[in-house]
Amino acid sequence: MSNPLKKLTKRDLFHAYAYWMMFALAAQNMERMEAPAFAGMMGKVADKLYDDPEEQKALMLRHTQFYNSQPMVGVMINGIALGMEEQRAGGENVPDELISSTKTALMGPFAGVGDSLFIGTLIPILLSIGLGLVGEQGSLAGPLFYIVAWLGIMLPFTWLTFRFGYRSGITAIHTLFESGMKDVAVRFANIVGLIIVGCISAQYVSVKIGWTYVSGEMTMSIQSVLDGILPGLLPLLLTLGAWALMEKKHWKMGRVFVLIFAMALIGRFFGILA
Amino acid sequence: MTLFQALLIALFGYLSSNYSPWCFGQLGGWYTMGRPLVSGLIIGIILGDVRTGILMGAAVQTLYIGLVTPGLSMPADLNFAAYMGIPLAMAAGASTEYALSLSVPLSFLGVSLVYVVASVNVCWVRKQEQWIEQGKIKKAANAPVYASISQFIARFVPIFLACYFGQDFIISVVEAIPAWLGDTFVIFGKMLPAVGFAMLLRFVLNKNVELAYFFVGFIMIAVLKMPIVAATMIACFLAYLDIRYTAKKTNELEVEVDE
Repeated sequence: MSNPLKKLTKRDLFHAYAYWMMFALAAQNMERMEAPAFAGMMGKVADKLYDDPEEQKALMLRHTQFYNSQPMVGVMINGIALGMEEQRAGGENVPDELISSTKTALMGPFAGVGDSLFIGTLIPILLSIGLGLVGEQGSLAGPLFYIVAWLGIMLPFTWLTFRFGYRSGITAIHTLFESGMKDVAVRFANIVGLIIVGCISAQYVSVKIGWTYVSGEMTMSIQSVLDGILPGLLPLLLTLGAWALMEKKHWKMGRVFVLIFAMALIGRFFGILA
Repeated sequence: MTLFQALLIALFGYLSSNYSPWCFGQLGGWYTMGRPLVSGLIIGIILGDVRTGILMGAAVQTLYIGLVTPGLSMPADLNFAAYMGIPLAMAAGASTEYALSLSVPLSFLGVSLVYVVASVNVCWVRKQEQWIEQGKIKKAANAPVYASISQFIARFVPIFLACYFGQDFIISVVEAIPAWLGDTFVIFGKMLPAVGFAMLLRFVLNKNVELAYFFVGFIMIAVLKMPIVAATMIACFLAYLDIRYTAKKTNELEVEVDE
């Protein structure tokens, strides 16, 4: 397929892929998780996509938003995002929202499938075979089998799914623009993304009250009372609170951090939080 | 154990840890060299007794075979269990049970270190954004390379100290760290993602009333405990309904205009 918008060579694609595979978790952090590596991957090919330094900056900034998935299985999402970005750089009028919402909508399911299918199923199977081969003699065949089988499956798998994602990203953009479904797709990705943000907030944010109210014979765990109202009430309030402080009160993120650290420190000190 | 052997084990301990990029990330590191079955082989080669290394590795592996580490939650610190437990047990000529019992007190240290590293790394997010704003694209792209230093310190130093000075030393160090300090970082670390999601919310939210979608997502996981794939299917269905409803309204409007 000849593509007039094509800017990336196979070599560039491999660089982006290898960069992600290596550094996905290198800057893993509690605030944006794998986002620095996602932005970094775009930074590696920024000069191939755009000549204008301002566009290069904008490209990287688009990808500094929270991102977290299973890095190896989720490499397909990196491919999709890269394919979309290439179309955008080539002159297609791809809305920024479409790219970010697609990433957000996909990262949760990919993490779920990756953890259960690969980490929770494939690895234990390979390890069990390896353990069987070790036997009582401590045979070298055990660890060697695991290394060869695991790398033999995953190296081609990750590279192929990355390429597949990249092509899908391009095709998706083409199809959307030709069929005039662009606005519908943006809206669709946006809603799914919004719901998934809710899902992963419930998964990752955690605040628990460790304090129990004791009065004579009666002890009452505050946490179980809260759980009776709505499980995850405190994480929900914390997320909404952080959002409101930044959106409505225009707090800088640093201030929100200091506030949360103070809450953690004081909460732990008085045994309110656990 | 010689100084050189302890340094080598500490180095491989770091290379096999979860956030180390140098062996093609998780693929060659955490999920290859970081599996105790393989760690045992590496430690065996370094200590000059491959057979015992593999047997010990296999024993530790049996215990942790079903360990899945989604996100940051970690029931046990596999990295310290393998790279402190196996060498110390081998050096002492002890049984595999000894290696396993060592890893229990060290789990606390390992788990809070994960949160310390992930909290400290937040400053690299700031640095990267600064570099992007200043137009230093290459430097910004390399931010994760520089960020690796925190994981290196958190893994290399404790493993080296444990291997070189023995387990009594490292356990007394762990006991000297006040519990509240480690706990504070774990509590802080678990609260921090709220800020990342708040940022994301600002980005994907068009109208405040659409927070309803956010709540639905939250409830599907927190209350209904749905698997994420099922939740995504429902999300797609709701998005379909939203679009269909809106589209129908506009169509009707058009029809009215035509008439």
